[in-house]
Amino acid sequence: MNTSILKQGPYLIAILQAGQSDSDLLQLQETLLEQVGRFRSRGVILDVTLLDVMDSFATRTLRGIAQAVSLRGAETVIVGIRPEIAFAMVQLGLDTRLSGVLTALDLEEALAILNRRCREGMCRD
Amino acid sequence: MAEQTNQDSTKSLMEEIGITDREIANRCAFLELGEKDIKELLGIDPVAEAYADPVIEDFYKHLLNFEETRVFFQDRQVLERVKRAQKQYFARLTRGNYDKDYIEDRLKIGAVHERIGLPVKAYLGMYNFYLRNVAARLFDEYKNDREKALRAFLSLLKVVFLDMGLAIDTYINRREQLIGKQQEAMRELPTPVLRVRERLLILPVVGVLESYRAHQLTEQLLESIGTTRAKAAIVDITGVPVVDSRVANHLLQTVSAARLMGATVILTGLSSQIAQALVAIGVDLSQVKTTVDLQSGLEEAERLLGYRLVPAGDKARSDQLHP
Repeated sequence: MNTSILKQGPYLIAILQAGQSDSDLLQLQETLLEQVGRFRSRGVILDVTLLDVMDSFATRTLRGIAQAVSLRGAETVIVGIRPEIAFAMVQLGLDTRLSGVLTALDLEEALAILNRRCREGMCRD
Repeated sequence: MAEQTNQDSTKSLMEEIGITDREIANRCAFLELGEKDIKELLGIDPVAEAYADPVIEDFYKHLLNFEETRVFFQDRQVLERVKRAQKQYFARLTRGNYDKDYIEDRLKIGAVHERIGLPVKAYLGMYNFYLRNVAARLFDEYKNDREKALRAFLSLLKVVFLDMGLAIDTYINRREQLIGKQQEAMRELPTPVLRVRERLLILPVVGVLESYRAHQLTEQLLESIGTTRAKAAIVDITGVPVVDSRVANHLLQTVSAARLMGATVILTGLSSQIAQALVAIGVDLSQVKTTVDLQSGLEEAERLLGYRLVPAGDKARSDQLHP
């Protein structure tokens, strides 16, 4: 299953699908990193609203994407972690894995965060 | 069948407290209260009958000598009624037949004492007075057979201890029921999530934060963040008397879960005692934004949300200055 990646101005938006396999996630990482370079994107938004579970592999991969994206000069924001999933992640101790990653409630909020950070010069121009 | 339903509707104290036939047998066995004792007690029954009245008189004279116990017998009629009941009880002590009815009676007496607020120390003190009084009379009666007096007295002691155990169990049972009710009431204490400004929530927490409530708080906060699109939430724990490591951990989890959803939680109202206690037990709240009171918490949240609070007067003046 290919994750659709949308280009929105200087940002890339990836909407993760439910029932995605581990290899789909790794494929997504690959594609995203390639596109960050191709479009000279400043930010990546990972929308996880559709996910029913966030296991340790998914969490690790998301962190990996965020770290690699940052090495390519862009910021990552994870969006749409639902209340019950957030709580489950905390109980499983997965929250610490995402401690360095920006999170936002929804797409709108994520765009606001990225815009602000770019304005403040935290992203490259 | 009809009998069954009848029993169900009037649940006996025995059932309520959980005293079964086996439990009674166990208690008797532990006290080594058996046939021999019953025989001993039946043997002194005529003597007991004879000293019943003077014992009762001494008993109540003693009771009325103390302010603490006197208050329970202000009314003459009450006093007479209680005296009669007490006499009946004392008489029954030497009659054998310590059956279910007897046990139920003891539990009832315990429940009554608990309800009127007779302290356990007074209850035990009166037993002691009674036993000393009876011992003196028994040894006086059996001057020539002190062995018999001792045997009878020791048997009486077993029955009395059985009774005391039962009565105290009702005391404890009533208190436990009370505690249960209070816990229930505490659980139902609401933990409201209030919206103070666009995208800013406040959760005032009052009372003990045990795990059930802590869980509820987390759930409500996360739900509200989702529905109100809150960016910041202030959890005010001014009204929480104790924060132990478990509660602190719950709070940490809540903060962390809220962050995953993209909201910042500010913890306010940590008293100096709580702050010191948290440091002493080694809870690390360094990842959490904490402020001393609600006001500074609000200011912090407003800063976070990009609000700037300006007094209306200042604004008017600045408008005049820069038209």
